Amino acid sequence: MFNVLTGLNQKVGNFPGVTVDKKSGFFNVKNEKVNIIDLPGTYSLTPNSEDERVTKDCVCNADVEDIIVVVADATNLKRNLLLLTQIIDQGKKTILVLNMMDLLQKNNHEIKIQKLELLLGIPVVAINARIGKGLDELKYKIVNHKFKPTKFIDQPFSSNVIDETMLRYNKINQIVNECLIVNGEDKSSILTRKIDNIITHKIYGYLIFLALLFVMFQAIFSWSAYPMELIENGFMLLGNSLSNLLPEGMINDLIVNGIIAGLGGIFVFIPQITMLFAFIIALEDTGYMARVSFLMDRILRNFGLNGKSIIPLLSSTACAVPAIMGARTITNYKERLITIMVSPLISCSARIPVYSLLIALVVPKESSFWLFNMQGILMMGLYLIGFITALLAAWVMKSLIVSKEKSSFILEMPIYRMPRWKNVGFQIFGKVRVFLFDAGKIIVAISIVLWGLSSYGPSETYAKIDAKYTELAKTNPTDNLESMKSAEKLESSYAGMIGKTIEPVIRPLGFDWKIGIALVTSFAAREVFVGTMATLYSVGDEDNTSTIREKMLLAKNSRTGELLYTKATTYSLLIFYAFAMQCMATLAVVYRETNSVKWPLIQLVYMGALAYFSSLIVYSIFS
Amino acid sequence: MTLDQLKENESGTILQIGDEDLALQMLAMGFILGEKIKVERIAPLHDPILIASGINYISIRKADAKQIEISKIN
Repeated sequence: MFNVLTGLNQKVGNFPGVTVDKKSGFFNVKNEKVNIIDLPGTYSLTPNSEDERVTKDCVCNADVEDIIVVVADATNLKRNLLLLTQIIDQGKKTILVLNMMDLLQKNNHEIKIQKLELLLGIPVVAINARIGKGLDELKYKIVNHKFKPTKFIDQPFSSNVIDETMLRYNKINQIVNECLIVNGEDKSSILTRKIDNIITHKIYGYLIFLALLFVMFQAIFSWSAYPMELIENGFMLLGNSLSNLLPEGMINDLIVNGIIAGLGGIFVFIPQITMLFAFIIALEDTGYMARVSFLMDRILRNFGLNGKSIIPLLSSTACAVPAIMGARTITNYKERLITIMVSPLISCSARIPVYSLLIALVVPKESSFWLFNMQGILMMGLYLIGFITALLAAWVMKSLIVSKEKSSFILEMPIYRMPRWKNVGFQIFGKVRVFLFDAGKIIVAISIVLWGLSSYGPSETYAKIDAKYTELAKTNPTDNLESMKSAEKLESSYAGMIGKTIEPVIRPLGFDWKIGIALVTSFAAREVFVGTMATLYSVGDEDNTSTIREKMLLAKNSRTGELLYTKATTYSLLIFYAFAMQCMATLAVVYRETNSVKWPLIQLVYMGALAYFSSLIVYSIFS
Repeated sequence: MTLDQLKENESGTILQIGDEDLALQMLAMGFILGEKIKVERIAPLHDPILIASGINYISIRKADAKQIEISKIN
């Protein structure tokens, strides 16, 4: 509705709590600019959660000149009129918009609009937001309607709100009886209950859920393999041709080894991230998420969470930032806080690039178990570890955080419907764009800085290395002298110095100074790891013929001279990235949602400690 | 009797809701005193339950259902 009016593409979905914050936009009518604010949906002006409070405050504190447009579901007129009458009695200029008229007509129901207008004393507009019907009329009324002051019930805000609500409903009942003509039964409602018999079945319900997850992870790994290869090769081609095209020297080096290598490392993952978002968004749009919450409530309660926590936890597989905001629908503060604190432990899309790169180092692509791709299974295992750890962490926090607030699980089960593919498409496009641009900006910036830091070092040391190799070339000329020289230069570069400084701390985990550099650069965002690896392993590689993976496979530990990415080191690194809090965006949103520095700090420290010690254990097991 | 005592597919009429916050929330979600309420489904682990009144269809925990007084319809 808001999207159609403004031409924007904000998120919509088929469960309460999709919009948890206000969003603003504008539209123009005859040179007049109208600003609109979209508010989270609510059932009444008595808020039960944070998102509903946003709406209540905004409506009650609205300016006298502001117009409140109440968008009601025409198929559930009675309940929607309650909120409307509460707003009318706040003395606000109000317009009622009836949406989903198409569904109403499908059930052979009819609403007498003019009569409704007369009885309520406010303008009523029927629209179909999907095809844009009725929008011009709405815009016209917003700008031109002369509002008359009106009251719905005479003595509102009496001491007993229950009596007041019942009084409203009695009057609403009379109005609905006069305005709504019912000619048949509600088919979609009946179908929904039938589907629920299967979806919430005590055995099939859980099986369907697990099967969906399994298909999702297989899809992310196997179906996206081909487009990924295409992108990977494309970037290599681009790098090579640019490298030949541009004059040799610093700029060439910076563009090919710094920027192209860094960007290529991240663009490769577009297919996987698209696939993941497509699944999550389609599931949200059908109404399935509410049922999963219902199935999981009893289980999650044992861990100090709520059935509603499953939505943030599941959407954390895409990104923790919107997930943490989505936790606003959880009424109980303790449950909401625990959900916020553990959500980042669920592996998100930014980990996919890191996982994929590292998994490919230890598991060959062809290797499979029965029907399933081994790489896919390992990936799913990592997600599973993240999920289980999140539950365990929640269980620990449950006993640490004290709260006497009562907990409940009151959640509407929306009617099932097919995903609106256009909406799904727009959202995927939006998410991928954000991923590319936001991450892309950081990656390009860090790639450039990193390229600088790893190409230059203290001039004295560099001069010494130059002299040493000129000497060597005279006495013992071999082929790989040049690459030995650049390796030594990298080690004594500024970046090398940083990596060397932290190496003692991370050596027990099986990491060397190059991984150390990557840990530092990916503190702001995990996916930077891949770009860092690309840059670090490209510096000094004149031919630029192999992919990052191939370069890493050949990488040697500078201390021992053995292959660096052994099973032990790779698994240890995987676990580190699964648990460590390496995301500035998440820390920022946790700060905003909890309104304190305390919680993001605790999160940073506990996840860091968890990552360090788990990696330590994994490394000692496998080495 | 209270709502939590109903089995799957059994119905009743809502008489009173003990807790005021719960009452307001239920009212706003379309569960009105004096109207019919049906237990559509009980979750696999016996809690929560899915209840419906007319087109309104929500999930609620048994602890809250205990607060809702009903008279059973046979």
